[in-house]
Amino acid sequence: MCDRPFWGQWRHRSILQALPFAPIILELILRRMYLDLHSHSVSSDDSRATVEQYVKWVHVLRSKRGYTIDGFVLTEHRKFDFDKDYSQLAAEYDVLIMKASELDTRYGHVLVYGVNEGLAKDIDLGDVKMDARELMKAARHHGAIAVPAHPGRFGIGLVDYMEQGEAFPDLHIVERVNGGSRAGENERADALCQEHNFLGTGGSDAHLASHLGSCVTSFPTEVRDERQLVEALLAGDFTPVWLKDTNP
Amino acid sequence: MADRNGPYFEDIDLGDEIGPVELVATDENVINFCQLWGNPMPNRFTSQEMAEASGLPSPIVPGVMSMAIMSQALTDWAGPEALKDLDLVFRQPVPHNKPLLISATVTDTRQEDGENLVECDVLMMGEAGERYVGGTALISLPSNEE
Amino acid sequence: MTMELEYNRELYGVEHEAGPFAITADVIQTFNRSIGETNPMYTDAATAQAAGYNGVLAPPTLVTMLVRNVELPDIELKFGIMRFHAGQRVQSRAPIVAGDSLMASSHLKEVYPKTGRSGTMVFTVWETTFTNQDGVVVADVQESYASRE
Repeated sequence: MCDRPFWGQWRHRSILQALPFAPIILELILRRMYLDLHSHSVSSDDSRATVEQYVKWVHVLRSKRGYTIDGFVLTEHRKFDFDKDYSQLAAEYDVLIMKASELDTRYGHVLVYGVNEGLAKDIDLGDVKMDARELMKAARHHGAIAVPAHPGRFGIGLVDYMEQGEAFPDLHIVERVNGGSRAGENERADALCQEHNFLGTGGSDAHLASHLGSCVTSFPTEVRDERQLVEALLAGDFTPVWLKDTNP
Repeated sequence: MADRNGPYFEDIDLGDEIGPVELVATDENVINFCQLWGNPMPNRFTSQEMAEASGLPSPIVPGVMSMAIMSQALTDWAGPEALKDLDLVFRQPVPHNKPLLISATVTDTRQEDGENLVECDVLMMGEAGERYVGGTALISLPSNEE
Repeated sequence: MTMELEYNRELYGVEHEAGPFAITADVIQTFNRSIGETNPMYTDAATAQAAGYNGVLAPPTLVTMLVRNVELPDIELKFGIMRFHAGQRVQSRAPIVAGDSLMASSHLKEVYPKTGRSGTMVFTVWETTFTNQDGVVVADVQESYASRE
Protein backbone atom coordinates (compact mmCIF):
# COMPACT_ATOMS: atom_id res chain seq x y z
CA MET A 1 0.00 0.00 0.00
CA CYS A 2 2.98 2.27 0.44
CA ASP A 3 3.28 2.33 -3.34
CA ARG A 4 0.18 4.38 -3.76
CA PRO A 5 1.21 7.64 -2.02
CA PHE A 6 4.62 7.35 -3.63
CA TRP A 7 3.07 6.85 -7.07
CA GLY A 8 0.66 9.71 -6.47
CA GLN A 9 3.47 11.93 -5.29
CA TRP A 10 5.61 11.07 -8.28
CA ARG A 11 2.78 11.65 -10.69
CA HIS A 12 1.95 14.98 -9.05
CA ARG A 13 5.55 16.10 -9.18
CA SER A 14 6.07 14.96 -12.75
CA ILE A 15 3.00 16.86 -13.94
CA LEU A 16 4.31 19.99 -12.25
CA GLN A 17 7.76 19.42 -13.72
CA ALA A 18 6.31 18.89 -17.17
CA LEU A 19 4.23 22.07 -17.10
CA PRO A 20 6.89 24.34 -18.62
CA PHE A 21 7.18 21.87 -21.51
CA ALA A 22 3.43 21.69 -22.06
CA PRO A 23 3.44 23.88 -25.18
CA ILE A 24 6.14 21.71 -26.74
CA ILE A 25 4.36 18.48 -25.79
CA LEU A 26 1.09 19.89 -27.07
CA GLU A 27 2.75 20.94 -30.29
CA LEU A 28 4.22 17.47 -30.73
CA ILE A 29 0.80 15.92 -30.24
CA LEU A 30 -1.06 18.42 -32.37
CA ARG A 31 1.62 19.20 -34.91
CA ARG A 32 0.63 18.42 -38.42
CA MET A 33 2.98 16.87 -40.90
CA TYR A 34 3.95 18.96 -43.91
CA LEU A 35 4.99 17.07 -47.02
CA ASP A 36 5.73 18.40 -50.49
CA LEU A 37 3.92 15.83 -52.64
CA HIS A 38 5.30 16.92 -56.02
CA SER A 39 8.97 17.35 -56.92
CA HIS A 40 11.43 16.27 -59.58
CA SER A 41 15.08 15.42 -59.23
CA VAL A 42 17.66 15.15 -62.02
CA SER A 43 16.22 11.70 -62.61
CA SER A 44 13.51 13.57 -64.54
CA ASP A 45 14.74 14.94 -67.86
CA ASP A 46 13.72 18.55 -67.17
CA SER A 47 14.86 18.94 -63.58
CA ARG A 48 18.17 20.41 -62.52
CA ALA A 49 18.01 19.56 -58.80
CA THR A 50 19.79 16.69 -57.13
CA VAL A 51 18.15 14.94 -54.17
CA GLU A 52 21.05 16.08 -52.00
CA GLN A 53 20.34 19.70 -52.97
CA TYR A 54 16.71 19.19 -52.00
CA VAL A 55 17.54 17.91 -48.51
CA LYS A 56 19.96 20.79 -48.05
CA TRP A 57 17.21 23.17 -49.14
CA VAL A 58 14.85 21.66 -46.55
CA HIS A 59 17.54 22.53 -44.01
CA VAL A 60 17.56 26.16 -45.29
CA LEU A 61 13.76 26.34 -45.05
CA ARG A 62 13.76 24.96 -41.54
CA SER A 63 16.75 26.58 -39.89
CA LYS A 64 17.16 29.87 -41.75
CA ARG A 65 13.62 30.74 -42.77
CA GLY A 66 11.66 29.19 -39.90
CA TYR A 67 9.27 27.06 -41.96
CA THR A 68 8.10 23.57 -41.18
CA ILE A 69 8.63 20.88 -43.76
CA ASP A 70 9.00 17.22 -42.90
CA GLY A 71 9.77 15.76 -46.26
CA PHE A 72 9.05 15.51 -49.94
CA VAL A 73 7.97 13.05 -52.58
CA LEU A 74 10.02 12.62 -55.74
CA THR A 75 7.47 12.29 -58.51
CA GLU A 76 9.72 11.60 -61.47
CA HIS A 77 8.33 12.03 -64.96
CA ARG A 78 7.13 8.88 -66.76
CA LYS A 79 9.04 6.47 -64.54
CA PHE A 80 9.49 5.07 -61.09
CA ASP A 81 13.01 4.74 -59.70
CA PHE A 82 12.81 1.26 -58.20
CA ASP A 83 16.61 1.12 -58.00
CA LYS A 84 17.16 4.39 -56.12
CA ASP A 85 17.59 4.35 -52.35
CA TYR A 86 17.68 7.70 -50.53
CA SER A 87 17.40 6.28 -47.00
CA GLN A 88 20.95 7.23 -46.01
CA LEU A 89 20.49 10.81 -47.20
CA ALA A 90 17.11 10.99 -45.45
CA ALA A 91 18.60 9.79 -42.17
CA GLU A 92 21.62 12.10 -42.43
CA TYR A 93 19.47 15.21 -42.88
CA ASP A 94 16.39 14.06 -40.94
CA VAL A 95 14.16 14.57 -43.97
CA LEU A 96 11.51 12.11 -45.14
CA ILE A 97 12.14 11.25 -48.81
CA MET A 98 9.52 9.22 -50.65
CA LYS A 99 9.34 8.04 -54.23
CA ALA A 100 6.40 8.23 -56.64
CA SER A 101 5.73 9.02 -60.30
CA GLU A 102 4.21 11.73 -62.44
CA LEU A 103 2.83 9.99 -65.50
CA ASP A 104 1.71 11.57 -68.75
CA THR A 105 -1.77 10.56 -69.88
CA ARG A 106 -4.01 11.73 -72.67
CA TYR A 107 -5.91 13.69 -70.01
CA GLY A 108 -2.97 15.44 -68.45
CA HIS A 109 -0.31 14.53 -65.92
CA VAL A 110 -1.16 12.23 -63.03
CA LEU A 111 0.79 11.80 -59.80
CA VAL A 112 0.88 8.20 -58.64
CA TYR A 113 1.72 7.45 -55.01
CA GLY A 114 2.50 3.91 -53.85
CA VAL A 115 3.89 2.68 -57.18
CA ASN A 116 4.97 -0.95 -56.99
CA GLU A 117 6.18 -3.73 -59.27
CA GLY A 118 2.65 -4.98 -59.87
CA LEU A 119 1.44 -1.60 -61.11
CA ALA A 120 4.54 -1.13 -63.25
CA LYS A 121 3.83 -4.51 -64.87
CA ASP A 122 0.23 -3.60 -65.64
CA ILE A 123 0.83 -0.03 -66.79
CA ASP A 124 3.52 1.19 -69.17
CA LEU A 125 4.79 4.12 -67.12
CA GLY A 126 6.33 5.73 -70.21
CA ASP A 127 3.12 5.70 -72.28
CA VAL A 128 2.33 9.39 -72.79
CA LYS A 129 -1.08 8.58 -74.31
CA MET A 130 -2.46 6.26 -71.64
CA ASP A 131 -6.03 6.71 -70.39
CA ALA A 132 -6.00 8.40 -66.98
CA ARG A 133 -9.14 6.44 -66.02
CA GLU A 134 -7.39 3.11 -66.56
CA LEU A 135 -4.42 4.38 -64.61
CA MET A 136 -6.66 5.36 -61.67
CA LYS A 137 -8.27 1.91 -61.66
CA ALA A 138 -4.96 0.05 -61.96
CA ALA A 139 -3.41 2.16 -59.21
CA ARG A 140 -6.18 1.33 -56.74
CA HIS A 141 -6.05 -2.35 -57.75
CA HIS A 142 -2.36 -2.42 -56.79
CA GLY A 143 -2.70 -0.45 -53.56
CA ALA A 144 -1.53 2.83 -55.06
CA ILE A 145 -3.43 6.04 -55.71
CA ALA A 146 -3.52 8.29 -58.78
CA VAL A 147 -3.97 12.04 -58.31
CA PRO A 148 -4.24 14.34 -61.36
CA ALA A 149 -1.52 16.98 -61.20
CA HIS A 150 -2.13 20.70 -61.82
CA PRO A 151 -5.67 20.12 -63.14
CA GLY A 152 -6.09 23.83 -63.81
CA ARG A 153 -3.11 24.00 -66.16
CA PHE A 154 -4.14 25.55 -69.43
CA GLY A 155 -3.95 23.18 -72.37
CA ILE A 156 -3.05 20.07 -70.44
CA GLY A 157 -5.03 20.11 -67.18
CA LEU A 158 -7.99 17.93 -66.31
CA VAL A 159 -10.28 20.98 -66.19
CA ASP A 160 -9.98 21.39 -69.96
CA TYR A 161 -10.83 17.73 -70.56
CA MET A 162 -13.78 17.76 -68.15
CA GLU A 163 -15.10 20.88 -69.87
CA GLN A 164 -14.93 18.89 -73.12
CA GLY A 165 -17.24 16.29 -71.52
CA GLU A 166 -14.77 13.68 -70.27
CA ALA A 167 -15.87 12.04 -67.01
CA PHE A 168 -13.66 10.47 -64.35
CA PRO A 169 -15.93 8.47 -62.03
CA ASP A 170 -13.13 7.12 -59.81
CA LEU A 171 -11.74 10.58 -59.13
CA HIS A 172 -11.84 12.00 -55.61
CA ILE A 173 -8.50 13.76 -55.14
CA VAL A 174 -6.66 16.24 -57.36
CA GLU A 175 -3.64 18.46 -56.84
CA ARG A 176 -5.31 21.68 -55.77
CA VAL A 177 -2.23 23.86 -55.25
CA ASN A 178 0.74 23.53 -57.59
CA GLY A 179 3.86 25.67 -57.11
CA GLY A 180 4.60 25.77 -60.85
CA SER A 181 1.22 27.15 -61.83
CA ARG A 182 0.84 30.29 -63.88
CA ALA A 183 -1.67 33.00 -63.05
CA GLY A 184 -5.21 31.62 -62.87
CA GLU A 185 -4.29 27.92 -62.96
CA ASN A 186 -4.54 27.21 -59.23
CA GLU A 187 -7.81 29.15 -59.18
CA ARG A 188 -9.19 26.80 -61.85
CA ALA A 189 -8.11 23.81 -59.75
CA ASP A 190 -9.79 25.38 -56.76
CA ALA A 191 -13.05 25.85 -58.65
CA LEU A 192 -12.87 22.24 -59.85
CA CYS A 193 -12.52 21.00 -56.26
CA GLN A 194 -15.44 23.10 -55.09
CA GLU A 195 -17.69 22.11 -57.95
CA HIS A 196 -17.06 18.37 -57.64
CA ASN A 197 -16.28 18.21 -53.94
CA PHE A 198 -12.81 16.85 -54.68
CA LEU A 199 -10.15 16.72 -52.01
CA GLY A 200 -6.97 18.62 -52.83
CA THR A 201 -3.25 18.14 -52.28
CA GLY A 202 -0.41 20.65 -52.51
CA GLY A 203 3.01 20.27 -54.09
CA SER A 204 5.74 22.57 -55.34
CA ASP A 205 6.34 20.80 -58.69
CA ALA A 206 9.94 21.81 -58.04
CA HIS A 207 12.44 21.32 -60.84
CA LEU A 208 15.00 23.50 -59.07
CA ALA A 209 16.22 23.01 -55.50
CA SER A 210 15.10 26.42 -54.26
CA HIS A 211 11.51 25.83 -55.39
CA LEU A 212 11.03 22.79 -53.15
CA GLY A 213 8.39 23.23 -50.48
CA SER A 214 6.76 26.33 -52.01
CA CYS A 215 3.52 24.53 -51.27
CA VAL A 216 2.95 21.34 -49.32
CA THR A 217 0.22 19.04 -48.06
CA SER A 218 -0.64 19.06 -44.38
CA PHE A 219 -1.57 15.76 -42.68
CA PRO A 220 -2.82 15.34 -39.10
CA THR A 221 -1.13 11.98 -38.69
CA GLU A 222 2.43 10.87 -39.11
CA VAL A 223 3.41 9.54 -42.50
CA ARG A 224 6.62 7.52 -42.57
CA ASP A 225 6.61 5.81 -45.95
CA GLU A 226 4.82 5.48 -49.27
CA ARG A 227 2.31 2.94 -47.92
CA GLN A 228 1.29 5.29 -45.10
CA LEU A 229 1.09 8.16 -47.58
CA VAL A 230 -1.45 6.22 -49.67
CA GLU A 231 -3.39 5.41 -46.48
CA ALA A 232 -3.34 9.03 -45.38
CA LEU A 233 -4.59 10.16 -48.80
CA LEU A 234 -7.34 7.54 -48.78
CA ALA A 235 -8.32 8.66 -45.27
CA GLY A 236 -9.03 12.05 -46.83
CA ASP A 237 -7.87 14.23 -43.95
CA PHE A 238 -5.36 16.59 -45.55
CA THR A 239 -5.18 20.10 -46.93
CA PRO A 240 -2.89 21.99 -49.31
CA VAL A 241 -0.81 24.66 -47.56
CA TRP A 242 1.49 27.41 -48.84
CA LEU A 243 4.95 27.37 -47.29
CA LYS A 244 4.42 30.69 -45.49
CA ASP A 245 1.52 29.10 -43.59
CA THR A 246 3.75 26.39 -42.10
CA ASN A 247 5.57 28.99 -40.01
CA PRO A 248 4.41 28.23 -36.45
CA MET B 1 43.38 39.15 -56.69
CA ALA B 2 43.93 41.91 -54.19
CA ASP B 3 41.57 44.26 -56.02
CA ARG B 4 38.81 41.71 -56.25
CA ASN B 5 35.30 43.17 -56.03
CA GLY B 6 33.37 39.90 -56.14
CA PRO B 7 32.65 37.52 -53.30
CA TYR B 8 34.96 34.91 -51.81
CA PHE B 9 33.88 31.33 -51.24
CA GLU B 10 33.77 31.90 -47.49
CA ASP B 11 31.26 34.75 -47.97
CA ILE B 12 28.68 32.39 -49.46
CA ASP B 13 26.08 30.48 -47.51
CA LEU B 14 23.27 28.13 -48.50
CA GLY B 15 20.08 30.05 -49.22
CA ASP B 16 21.87 33.33 -50.09
CA GLU B 17 20.03 35.34 -52.71
CA ILE B 18 21.72 37.28 -55.49
CA GLY B 19 19.79 40.02 -57.26
CA PRO B 20 17.34 40.51 -58.73
CA VAL B 21 19.10 42.49 -61.41
CA GLU B 22 16.62 44.30 -63.64
CA LEU B 23 17.23 44.90 -67.31
CA VAL B 24 15.34 45.36 -70.54
CA ALA B 25 16.10 43.79 -73.92
CA THR B 26 15.04 46.51 -76.35
CA ASP B 27 14.10 45.96 -80.00
CA GLU B 28 17.45 47.50 -80.92
CA ASN B 29 19.38 45.18 -78.57
CA VAL B 30 17.74 42.13 -80.13
CA ILE B 31 18.37 43.33 -83.69
CA ASN B 32 22.05 43.92 -82.86
CA PHE B 33 22.29 40.49 -81.29
CA CYS B 34 20.65 38.76 -84.26
CA GLN B 35 23.03 40.56 -86.64
CA LEU B 36 26.02 39.18 -84.78
CA TRP B 37 24.44 35.77 -84.36
CA GLY B 38 23.94 35.57 -88.13
CA ASN B 39 20.26 34.74 -87.96
CA PRO B 40 18.71 36.01 -91.21
CA MET B 41 16.29 38.88 -90.58
CA PRO B 42 13.42 39.52 -90.44
CA ASN B 43 12.68 36.65 -88.08
CA ARG B 44 10.40 35.91 -85.13
CA PHE B 45 12.87 37.70 -82.86
CA THR B 46 12.71 40.99 -84.75
CA SER B 47 9.48 41.10 -86.78
CA GLN B 48 5.90 41.37 -85.49
CA GLU B 49 4.59 39.66 -88.61
CA MET B 50 6.97 36.69 -88.37
CA ALA B 51 6.34 36.37 -84.63
CA GLU B 52 2.59 36.16 -85.24
CA ALA B 53 3.16 33.57 -87.97
CA SER B 54 4.95 31.47 -85.31
CA GLY B 55 2.00 31.79 -82.94
CA LEU B 56 3.64 34.43 -80.76
CA PRO B 57 1.91 37.68 -79.77
CA SER B 58 5.04 39.72 -80.43
CA PRO B 59 8.77 39.28 -81.23
CA ILE B 60 10.72 37.47 -78.52
CA VAL B 61 14.25 37.53 -77.15
CA PRO B 62 16.25 34.57 -78.58
CA GLY B 63 17.16 31.86 -76.07
CA VAL B 64 20.83 32.35 -76.89
CA MET B 65 20.51 36.04 -75.94
CA SER B 66 18.58 35.24 -72.74
CA MET B 67 21.43 32.95 -71.77
CA ALA B 68 24.01 35.64 -72.58
CA ILE B 69 22.33 38.23 -70.35
CA MET B 70 21.79 35.77 -67.50
CA SER B 71 25.43 34.78 -67.76
CA GLN B 72 26.36 38.47 -67.65
CA ALA B 73 24.37 38.98 -64.43
CA LEU B 74 26.25 36.06 -62.87
CA THR B 75 29.74 37.13 -63.99
CA ASP B 76 29.03 40.71 -62.86
CA TRP B 77 28.47 39.27 -59.38
CA ALA B 78 30.98 36.42 -59.21
CA GLY B 79 33.73 37.57 -61.58
CA PRO B 80 34.55 37.11 -65.27
CA GLU B 81 36.26 33.72 -64.85
CA ALA B 82 33.81 32.26 -62.34
CA LEU B 83 31.03 30.70 -64.41
CA LYS B 84 31.72 27.01 -65.08
CA ASP B 85 28.30 25.72 -66.07
CA LEU B 86 25.02 27.38 -66.98
CA ASP B 87 22.10 25.08 -67.73
CA LEU B 88 18.82 26.76 -68.71
CA VAL B 89 15.30 25.79 -69.66
CA PHE B 90 13.38 28.32 -71.75
CA ARG B 91 9.96 28.05 -70.14
CA GLN B 92 8.05 30.96 -71.67
CA PRO B 93 8.76 33.38 -74.53
CA VAL B 94 10.83 36.33 -73.27
CA PRO B 95 9.34 39.67 -74.40
CA HIS B 96 11.19 42.74 -75.70
CA ASN B 97 10.99 46.11 -73.94
CA LYS B 98 9.78 44.76 -70.61
CA PRO B 99 11.64 44.50 -67.31
CA LEU B 100 13.46 41.19 -66.94
CA LEU B 101 14.40 40.30 -63.37
CA ILE B 102 17.41 38.01 -63.06
CA SER B 103 18.12 36.41 -59.72
CA ALA B 104 20.03 33.49 -58.24
CA THR B 105 19.75 31.46 -55.05
CA VAL B 106 22.63 29.48 -53.58
CA THR B 107 21.60 25.84 -53.22
CA ASP B 108 24.93 24.14 -52.51
CA THR B 109 28.55 24.91 -51.70
CA ARG B 110 31.36 22.40 -51.92
CA GLN B 111 35.08 22.00 -52.47
CA GLU B 112 35.99 19.64 -55.27
CA ASP B 113 39.30 18.95 -57.04
CA GLY B 114 40.82 22.04 -55.47
CA GLU B 115 37.98 24.30 -56.61
CA ASN B 116 35.53 26.17 -54.38
CA LEU B 117 32.20 25.57 -56.05
CA VAL B 118 28.88 27.30 -55.55
CA GLU B 119 25.72 25.86 -57.07
CA CYS B 120 22.87 28.30 -57.76
CA ASP B 121 19.35 28.20 -59.09
CA VAL B 122 18.95 31.00 -61.59
CA LEU B 123 15.75 32.62 -62.81
CA MET B 124 14.66 35.22 -65.28
CA MET B 125 11.24 36.48 -64.32
CA GLY B 126 8.79 39.09 -65.48
CA GLU B 127 7.25 41.81 -63.35
CA ALA B 128 4.08 39.78 -62.77
CA GLY B 129 6.08 36.75 -61.62
CA GLU B 130 6.23 35.02 -65.03
CA ARG B 131 9.05 32.47 -64.99
CA TYR B 132 10.57 33.00 -68.41
CA VAL B 133 13.83 31.10 -67.97
CA GLY B 134 15.03 28.87 -65.15
CA GLY B 135 18.02 26.71 -64.53
CA THR B 136 21.20 26.22 -62.58
CA ALA B 137 24.67 27.70 -62.55
CA LEU B 138 27.93 26.35 -61.21
CA ILE B 139 30.33 29.03 -60.06
CA SER B 140 33.91 28.71 -58.93
CA LEU B 141 35.08 31.29 -56.40
CA PRO B 142 38.48 32.05 -54.87
CA SER B 143 39.07 31.47 -51.19
CA ASN B 144 40.04 34.41 -49.00
CA GLU B 145 42.41 32.05 -47.23
CA GLU B 146 44.59 31.57 -50.33
CA MET C 1 2.98 1.23 -75.43
CA THR C 2 5.65 3.86 -74.90
CA MET C 3 5.51 6.31 -77.81
CA GLU C 4 7.66 4.88 -80.60
CA LEU C 5 9.54 7.73 -82.20
CA GLU C 6 10.46 7.58 -85.83
CA TYR C 7 13.75 9.30 -86.67
CA ASN C 8 17.16 8.51 -88.08
CA ARG C 9 18.91 6.67 -85.25
CA GLU C 10 21.98 6.15 -87.43
CA LEU C 11 22.94 9.71 -86.56
CA TYR C 12 23.99 8.63 -83.07
CA GLY C 13 27.76 8.51 -82.83
CA VAL C 14 28.28 10.67 -85.94
CA GLU C 15 30.26 13.91 -85.45
CA HIS C 16 29.49 17.01 -87.54
CA GLU C 17 32.37 19.45 -87.61
CA ALA C 18 32.70 23.15 -88.37
CA GLY C 19 35.37 25.81 -88.10
CA PRO C 20 37.89 27.14 -87.58
CA PHE C 21 36.24 30.13 -85.91
CA ALA C 22 38.61 33.02 -85.31
CA ILE C 23 37.83 34.56 -81.91
CA THR C 24 39.24 38.00 -82.53
CA ALA C 25 39.09 40.93 -80.12
CA ASP C 26 36.65 42.45 -82.59
CA VAL C 27 34.28 39.45 -82.39
CA ILE C 28 34.39 39.64 -78.61
CA GLN C 29 33.75 43.39 -78.64
CA THR C 30 30.78 43.02 -80.98
CA PHE C 31 29.33 40.37 -78.68
CA ASN C 32 29.92 42.61 -75.67
CA ARG C 33 28.15 45.53 -77.35
CA SER C 34 25.12 43.40 -78.25
CA ILE C 35 24.41 42.59 -74.60
CA GLY C 36 25.88 45.69 -72.97
CA GLU C 37 28.81 43.80 -71.46
CA THR C 38 31.38 46.14 -69.88
CA ASN C 39 33.52 43.91 -67.65
CA PRO C 40 37.14 45.03 -68.29
CA MET C 41 38.37 41.43 -68.48
CA TYR C 42 36.15 41.07 -71.55
CA THR C 43 36.68 44.57 -72.94
CA ASP C 44 40.18 45.77 -72.06
CA ALA C 45 43.27 43.89 -73.25
CA ALA C 46 45.54 45.51 -70.64
CA THR C 47 43.29 44.31 -67.78
CA ALA C 48 43.17 40.78 -69.19
CA GLN C 49 46.95 40.77 -69.76
CA ALA C 50 47.54 41.91 -66.19
CA ALA C 51 45.55 38.85 -65.11
CA GLY C 52 47.85 36.60 -67.16
CA TYR C 53 45.93 36.23 -70.44
CA ASN C 54 47.22 36.99 -73.94
CA GLY C 55 44.17 39.07 -74.76
CA VAL C 56 40.65 39.87 -73.66
CA LEU C 57 38.62 36.94 -72.36
CA ALA C 58 35.53 35.83 -74.25
CA PRO C 59 32.37 35.87 -72.11
CA PRO C 60 31.41 32.26 -71.36
CA THR C 61 28.34 32.15 -73.61
CA LEU C 62 30.00 33.58 -76.73
CA VAL C 63 30.50 30.05 -78.08
CA THR C 64 26.74 29.45 -78.09
CA MET C 65 26.55 31.95 -80.99
CA LEU C 66 28.77 29.70 -83.08
CA VAL C 67 26.72 26.51 -82.80
CA ARG C 68 24.36 27.52 -85.58
CA ASN C 69 27.33 27.45 -87.99
CA VAL C 70 27.57 23.69 -87.67
CA GLU C 71 25.52 22.14 -90.45
CA LEU C 72 23.39 19.66 -88.59
CA PRO C 73 21.48 17.04 -90.57
CA ASP C 74 17.72 16.62 -90.47
CA ILE C 75 17.06 13.80 -88.02
CA GLU C 76 13.95 12.90 -90.10
CA LEU C 77 11.70 13.00 -87.06
CA LYS C 78 8.17 11.94 -88.02
CA PHE C 79 6.47 14.16 -85.50
CA GLY C 80 5.21 17.68 -85.17
CA ILE C 81 5.23 20.82 -87.20
CA MET C 82 6.46 23.50 -84.79
CA ARG C 83 10.02 23.59 -83.51
CA PHE C 84 11.36 25.84 -80.78
CA HIS C 85 14.43 26.26 -78.64
CA ALA C 86 13.62 24.60 -75.31
CA GLY C 87 16.88 24.74 -73.41
CA GLN C 88 20.60 25.36 -73.57
CA ARG C 89 23.60 24.49 -71.46
CA VAL C 90 27.15 25.80 -71.67
CA GLN C 91 29.99 24.25 -69.72
CA SER C 92 33.21 26.24 -69.69
CA ARG C 93 36.23 23.93 -69.65
CA ALA C 94 39.06 26.42 -70.25
CA PRO C 95 39.40 30.16 -70.93
CA ILE C 96 38.72 31.40 -74.46
CA VAL C 97 40.96 34.34 -75.30
CA ALA C 98 41.11 36.81 -78.19
CA GLY C 99 43.34 35.25 -80.83
CA ASP C 100 42.06 31.72 -80.25
CA SER C 101 40.86 29.60 -83.14
CA LEU C 102 38.08 27.17 -82.30
CA MET C 103 36.77 24.03 -83.96
CA ALA C 104 33.26 22.76 -83.26
CA SER C 105 32.13 19.16 -83.29
CA SER C 106 28.44 18.32 -82.80
CA HIS C 107 26.59 15.06 -82.30
CA LEU C 108 23.04 13.97 -81.59
CA LYS C 109 22.74 13.33 -77.86
CA GLU C 110 19.14 12.22 -77.38
CA VAL C 111 15.57 12.35 -78.66
CA TYR C 112 12.64 11.84 -76.28
CA PRO C 113 8.92 12.60 -75.96
CA LYS C 114 6.97 14.31 -73.18
CA THR C 115 3.75 16.20 -72.73
CA GLY C 116 3.34 19.73 -71.53
CA ARG C 117 1.12 22.80 -71.79
CA SER C 118 1.52 22.61 -75.56
CA GLY C 119 0.50 18.93 -75.79
CA THR C 120 2.85 16.13 -76.74
CA MET C 121 6.33 17.30 -77.64
CA VAL C 122 9.49 15.60 -78.81
CA PHE C 123 12.82 16.95 -77.63
CA THR C 124 15.97 16.69 -79.74
CA VAL C 125 19.25 17.39 -77.97
CA TRP C 126 22.50 18.19 -79.78
CA GLU C 127 25.86 18.49 -78.04
CA THR C 128 28.73 20.54 -79.45
CA THR C 129 32.31 20.47 -78.19
CA PHE C 130 34.62 23.41 -78.90
CA THR C 131 38.38 22.80 -79.08
CA ASN C 132 41.05 25.49 -79.42
CA GLN C 133 44.16 25.61 -81.63
CA ASP C 134 46.14 23.67 -79.00
CA GLY C 135 43.64 20.82 -78.92
CA VAL C 136 42.25 21.91 -75.55
CA VAL C 137 38.51 21.47 -75.06
CA VAL C 138 37.29 24.93 -74.06
CA ALA C 139 33.52 24.45 -73.88
CA ASP C 140 30.61 22.08 -74.35
CA VAL C 141 27.24 23.38 -75.45
CA GLN C 142 23.98 21.43 -75.36
CA GLU C 143 20.96 22.69 -77.23
CA SER C 144 17.53 21.21 -76.84
CA TYR C 145 14.79 21.74 -79.44
CA ALA C 146 11.17 20.78 -78.95
CA SER C 147 8.86 19.76 -81.77
CA ARG C 148 5.17 19.93 -81.09
CA GLU C 149 2.05 18.69 -82.82
